[in-house]
Amino acid sequence: MATRSVQQGLKQVKPMLSVDRTEARRRVLNLYKAWYRQVPYVVKDFHIPVTVEQGRAKVREMFLKNKHVSDVRAIDMLVIKGQMDLVETANIWKQRNHIMMFFQDTVNPKPADFLSKFYEGQD
Amino acid sequence: MLRLWPLRQISRLQNAISLTQQACNKSSVPAPSPELVEVFVDDKQVFVEPGTTVLQACAAAGVEIPRFCYHDRLSIAGNCRMCLVEVERSAKPVASCAMPVMKGMKVKTDSPVTRKAREGVMEFLLVNHPLDCPICDQGGECDLQDQSMAFGSDRSRFTDNAFTGKRAVEDKNIGPLIKTIMTRCIHCTRCIRFASEIAGVEDLGTSGRGTEMQVGTYVEKMFKSEMSGNVIDLCPVGALTSKPYAFTARPWENRRIESVDVMDAVGSNIVVCMRSNEVMRILPRLNEDINEEWISDKTRFAYDGLKRQRLTTPFVRSGTGELVPADWESAFVKIAERVNATDGDLIAGVAGGQVDAEALIALKDMLNRLGSESVCTEEKFPMTNSGIDFRSNYIMNTTISGIEESDLILLVGTNPRLEAPLVNARIRKTWINSDLCVTVLGAPVDLSYDYQYLGDSFELLTDILNDKHPLAKGLKEASKPMIILGSAVLQGENSGAILDTVKSLSEKLRAGSEQEDWKVFNVLHTQANQVGALDLGYAPGVDAMKGSKPSVLFLLGADAGTVKREDLYENALVVYIGHHGDYGAQIADVVLPAAAYTEKDAVYVNTEGRAQIGRQAVSPPGMARQDWKIIRALSEMLGVTLPYDKLSDVRARLGEVSPTFNHAGQVEDAGFFNLSDSATVPRKESRPAVQPLSPALLSLRDFYMTDPISRASLTMAKCVQAVDDAEKNPYSKPEQS
Amino acid sequence: MMASRLWRLVRPVACNLSRTSALNNCAAPALSHGLRFQTTEAGSSKPTVASPSPLVKQQLTDFGAYVAECLPKYVQKVEVSHHGDLEVMIHPDGAIPVLSFLKDHTNAQFVNIVDIAGVDKPTLENRFEIVYMLMSLQFNARIRVKTYTDELTPIDSVCSVFQGANWYEREIWDMYGVFFANHPDLRRILTDYGFEGHPFRKDFPLSGYVEVRYDDEVKRVVVEPIELSQEFRKFEANTPWETFPNFRQVEGGETEAAAKPEEKQ
Repeated sequence: MATRSVQQGLKQVKPMLSVDRTEARRRVLNLYKAWYRQVPYVVKDFHIPVTVEQGRAKVREMFLKNKHVSDVRAIDMLVIKGQMDLVETANIWKQRNHIMMFFQDTVNPKPADFLSKFYEGQD
Repeated sequence: MLRLWPLRQISRLQNAISLTQQACNKSSVPAPSPELVEVFVDDKQVFVEPGTTVLQACAAAGVEIPRFCYHDRLSIAGNCRMCLVEVERSAKPVASCAMPVMKGMKVKTDSPVTRKAREGVMEFLLVNHPLDCPICDQGGECDLQDQSMAFGSDRSRFTDNAFTGKRAVEDKNIGPLIKTIMTRCIHCTRCIRFASEIAGVEDLGTSGRGTEMQVGTYVEKMFKSEMSGNVIDLCPVGALTSKPYAFTARPWENRRIESVDVMDAVGSNIVVCMRSNEVMRILPRLNEDINEEWISDKTRFAYDGLKRQRLTTPFVRSGTGELVPADWESAFVKIAERVNATDGDLIAGVAGGQVDAEALIALKDMLNRLGSESVCTEEKFPMTNSGIDFRSNYIMNTTISGIEESDLILLVGTNPRLEAPLVNARIRKTWINSDLCVTVLGAPVDLSYDYQYLGDSFELLTDILNDKHPLAKGLKEASKPMIILGSAVLQGENSGAILDTVKSLSEKLRAGSEQEDWKVFNVLHTQANQVGALDLGYAPGVDAMKGSKPSVLFLLGADAGTVKREDLYENALVVYIGHHGDYGAQIADVVLPAAAYTEKDAVYVNTEGRAQIGRQAVSPPGMARQDWKIIRALSEMLGVTLPYDKLSDVRARLGEVSPTFNHAGQVEDAGFFNLSDSATVPRKESRPAVQPLSPALLSLRDFYMTDPISRASLTMAKCVQAVDDAEKNPYSKPEQS
Repeated sequence: MMASRLWRLVRPVACNLSRTSALNNCAAPALSHGLRFQTTEAGSSKPTVASPSPLVKQQLTDFGAYVAECLPKYVQKVEVSHHGDLEVMIHPDGAIPVLSFLKDHTNAQFVNIVDIAGVDKPTLENRFEIVYMLMSLQFNARIRVKTYTDELTPIDSVCSVFQGANWYEREIWDMYGVFFANHPDLRRILTDYGFEGHPFRKDFPLSGYVEVRYDDEVKRVVVEPIELSQEFRKFEANTPWETFPNFRQVEGGETEAAAKPEEKQ
């Protein structure tokens, strides 16, 4: 009974790609696998100062960043964007700096305590 | 006694209008009192006091009449003709600013006749007004621009077929502050009336008539007044503009931040105009209780000192005795090394007069945590008898607006014209509008109003106290006498005797007075936050501190030069926290750059005991930080972390120490007069004060540079130069009478 | 002023006098130029923007009614704007059928897709408006087809109808984040690789979220969270000096003053 009402609820909106959560989950996992397999090539192709393990950890981090998303269509949207990103990466349309954008290695963390905020001159 | 005859009528008029407004506010009262006059403004019925002008009646009805020459605080001139309105059964349109109301008058403020009259007047004004708005500094805040848009004709008939050009007038040089472009002048005479009525300087006037009429000084000389800058605000067109501000910014680009002035202890309300993190200019902000709508020239023009001589990075004195730029951490480490090795008793703090309350409380809390009780201000105040234990002993008890109620003022050792120009303006206003009698004990300076000069010796004061002087009788007979004691005379030796005598005299008058809550005793401070420092428990004067020979000394904006290296322990560490490279920074071993008054949210307590909040307009330059944050950060390095991280925490702490800081903008009444009086032990023939009761600032030259900011200001230096030159000018009236 | 105007009239003629062979050909544009000058000067009674003729307007209204009649399932509203433009508001599902109809119908022949635009109206439930602008060369007519969607609802790509819609739809995807289903090549078109967000959305800040600079240490372009060093410019129009000090109190005072006579009566 409950599943039917859920399905009806899903039917009311136009699905993006997936019709239910299991399908969305499958798409996410597929995308994750694709990224996971791509990482060694990325490291090699772009000559970035990152090991394969670090790259995979970053992929995992990027996926986990959205783990709170539960709406099927929102998941699909993220999958679509992730897929596009993957294509851009795999085709080497991107350049080194675009890959390194994931790592934010030049960004200094904002100070939290009074003294370091004072030294930085931030309120 | 008609001191300025037209003004007498104004005061009556202004009373009338205030009564009118009261009458309007009391809408529940159905029948107006019989003496009110019934007037119809655009068929709307209003009741106003007889003697009210038509313009004021219209204002009471909520209709604003365009005007150029009329100003609320000046006498009525009625020469711009912009305020013409149609009055029924009157042959011609009448100038509403000068026409008193009559019974049953029917005013039409938007009739075809009125509109045509306005358009005609506007057309005549514009015929002889240059069309140089794009290069005019008044552009965007010009009354003529605004009113020609609102009330002028929508098309021009101006054709100069003969190419004769518009009227042109030579510009005048009236000093380094006011730029004159006299071709733009529309002869409203507001500046003339301001000079002669408010400022009390009869320098400006008109010469010639018709097209040849000119506003000016007749012979070239400086407009020598301590409040001359206000004519810039008063000028409805761009004839008088600010010289330092010329061509620097357009008014609509400026962001306005409401703040408080620290150049004197009046605490004038100001608006700081900021653009791209730079103070562009300073304007007055209306506050009827303090500065009305005027500010002094130092307040208005010293802002360029905020950009010069600034400390932008911490400095540490190297082994060779030079101050070397350093970073914050190494400066803090240098201080911490020394402080941690020093006994708490040997640490002391001295605060200057412009330091905000937040920094004061932070420094005091930090030193207390380090085990030191030795915090003091540079400015002295006698500690004899009840001293600063009672707040009523060191504030201006009657308040500035209270001056208007007074009928006799005794100025003791003060020159309010230079120490607090707006207090002086208030006294002058009262002197004009009432039979106020002013007497002066001190120097025979030019105060812009007549006064009775008594002399400058201390004996006169004791004579008055002991009823041996004729003034004693006058004081006793006065219903609301005021005694204003300048803080300058309290800086010398034996100042306790002066304070005690004045205090006893005031108490005698207060006790003998019929006015229940009239407080006679007033102290006029010269330092912006001296009252705040005393409220927070700072000891006045550095003598006690010098006695203990401290080995670590914190100078918090202390630039008056009261502390010298010789007063300290050998090899003492002097830490200067402040914003300008002035005296304090020169003797310091570690210099910590702080924020000036436009760069921090801060509380200042003025001489009335009124706490006011100044808002941050720009950010501190370079590595400079806000004062209380420096002390808070330093306290962490010294291992005595202060318990406040946010400004609101500091404010809460201020409120704990003194309730004054809880209600900003209001005067916290001081009580315990009887108690403080009984604590004043009658002195047995105290030693007479040796030096005369003379104030520190005697001539206008002394006025301009009194603190680190104004000392760094180029504009103020130019003013001093101009005053010196004016002395040589044979046409200029010598200042000393 | 007068002299220069005269010269502009005379100059073409003067030039042409030297080239006698081309005199006849060039005199005509010079004449028309002169005529246009006169009409703009004298024609102050005529508005500069021509209002559509009632006939054209009627034709458009009729055609709009016809479209609505033919496609009752999709067309929600038809409107002729004051400029004389026909606008057809349709349900998002109807993008392909309506556009196919307009393209293929003999009496329409809107075969030319001029542009596809997006509009963000954040207060609406379906915040994005998609506007298809078509032109019929055959009938010298233009039409706008409007539909709507939100962030997550895909809309059918019209690339199967109009090949030219491909990049327009990519642009809308890039700028607004509207997903076009069955688009042959949906990917970013204007933003940089790795750019996050959709800049034409109203909730996207003017300054963006990141700033880009070349870092000499790592020898590449780096992207960092934005730190604004200059404040936004904000203009204040009111004068600091109160011309009419009582002006601000008018509202309160007026009500009181207005209340007073009533009570008396």
